[in-house]
Amino acid sequence: MSVGFWEMVVLFLLVLSGLAVVRLQNAVHAALALIANFLLVAGVYVALEARFVAMIQIIVYAGAIVVLFLFVIMLLSAANANVGLDLLPRLPWAAALGALGLAGVLVYGLIRYQPAANPPALGGGLPQALGPLLYDPEKWLFALLAVGFLLLVATVAAVVLVEPERILAATTHPAHPSQKEEKVEVGP
Amino acid sequence: MKRLNLTAAAAGTLALFGPALAVETPSAAAQPTDPLWMVGLKAFLVIFGLLTAFAYMTLIERRLLARIQIRQGPNRVGPGGLLQPLADAIKSVFKEDLIVSRADKVVFVLAPMISVTFAVMSFGLIPFGPKGAFFGYDPWVINLDVGILYIFAVSELAIYGIFLAGWASNSKYSLLGSLRSSASMISYELALGISLLAPVLLVGSLNLQDIVDWQHQNGWLVLYMLPAFAIFLLTSMAEAARTPFDLPEAEQELVGGYNTEYSSIKWALFQMAEYIHLITASALIPTLFLGGWRMPGFLEQLPLLGPLFALPYLWMFVKIAFFLFFFIWVRGTLFRLRYDQLMVFSWGRLFPLALAWFLLSAWVVALKLPVVWLGWLSLLSLVAFLLYAFQTARPKPVERSYP
Repeated sequence: MSVGFWEMVVLFLLVLSGLAVVRLQNAVHAALALIANFLLVAGVYVALEARFVAMIQIIVYAGAIVVLFLFVIMLLSAANANVGLDLLPRLPWAAALGALGLAGVLVYGLIRYQPAANPPALGGGLPQALGPLLYDPEKWLFALLAVGFLLLVATVAAVVLVEPERILAATTHPAHPSQKEEKVEVGP
Repeated sequence: MKRLNLTAAAAGTLALFGPALAVETPSAAAQPTDPLWMVGLKAFLVIFGLLTAFAYMTLIERRLLARIQIRQGPNRVGPGGLLQPLADAIKSVFKEDLIVSRADKVVFVLAPMISVTFAVMSFGLIPFGPKGAFFGYDPWVINLDVGILYIFAVSELAIYGIFLAGWASNSKYSLLGSLRSSASMISYELALGISLLAPVLLVGSLNLQDIVDWQHQNGWLVLYMLPAFAIFLLTSMAEAARTPFDLPEAEQELVGGYNTEYSSIKWALFQMAEYIHLITASALIPTLFLGGWRMPGFLEQLPLLGPLFALPYLWMFVKIAFFLFFFIWVRGTLFRLRYDQLMVFSWGRLFPLALAWFLLSAWVVALKLPVVWLGWLSLLSLVAFLLYAFQTARPKPVERSYP
């Protein structure tokens, strides 16, 4: 296996943008670095000829998810939020331990890795090739359905969390205890 | 193409997908492509053409709007006002380029660039004719097998321009405008994406050339996919922030919306991005639903005029011009929606409709029913819509009770 010049550049930028996400003080700048990071990951996918996954990476992560991040940052005007303490400098040993563990896993993977005898032909990673794989009952169909169900549960839960009063009013009798107004006694 | 082995770990990720089925690549993607210098030249031509088209779109829009509103419009600079865009360009370049003192300077400068960059990136995919129609080369810049997804991704990234501009200006009106616009754009993006699923499912390819070829063999997709076409038309109007949906720059409420603090060429860049989105949408709608660069089928049958009508580029330009006119017409006719109406229209109407139509066409495709069924279903939905519109548009008679 060989890593070419442009791959090295992309990987270097990938690490750099990852560092920027963690280290930048302004949250909006960090989110911008995150977009750059996601776009570079999409570039890695394209280099691996997984074009469909690359586009999904851009649409879902660089597009939708970071927009939501930015939305929350701007809505709460939390761009320069002072969190009180910077956790990273206080935890050098934990950080070093984590980095060592990650490096160990990576080295182990590199040593144990053997190229597949018959490299899978994914046809450019197009949906025509990925679809039968994902929706094959013997392979990933169950996992896919389980993930979909989990997301549905999460969505319903989010709605319930946001508007408990309206849900209660719609599902319970009007005389439910939670609907009664509490009388506040004033004075002696 | 050479298979690149990036890293062992990444290759392991690829192997994780297991032994895949060997699937033949779509026909259009396997053909040889143009040399790189030609692609670069065509990309330059597309950008140059888009910028010129933007300049003259401003003139055409102002003249047409003036005509709709029974006035003259700009007609003094050059014959018929033809040099007005040039004068506007000179004016906006030489105006003072303000940067607000409390603004985030880097992001403030970056935002209009992001807007324009992602706006010009998607037009190159649209085919303007058969293979080799551009002096022996292909009349498109790149031919991606994930074409629609690419256009979708780029148009989603273009939102960041507006979003960051509003935040970096450090102004309430700008921030409100950008929050509003990004919320509405994300909502409409959803309906837009789902409305495109049905035609993609029917054609079985994400490639724009394949979609045009399919329409040549089976008839225009608008005949089979009328609801999807209607939803796509409305949502792409919202994506370009045109008048019924131009919340980002609601002048009466937000001064100028996200670009309140921008002046000079940076302001012009935002306008440029908006118009380029509009032009791209006007080219994309006919490519996806109205036969692309091909002429209407019945014209081919004509004995004498048939070959005359078969000129490349002609039909694409006619269709683009029609939709650009349509968008200006709508702007001159309709009023702006209120913000909550806009959101309800997207989440409450367009999104469920798009989902329902996608499910219907998925059933037709899955059960291998003849495609004509979708045509009948389209007709049925049109009738239902007309009945609904007739019902709601007519004022209800007021019942009066006399004492």
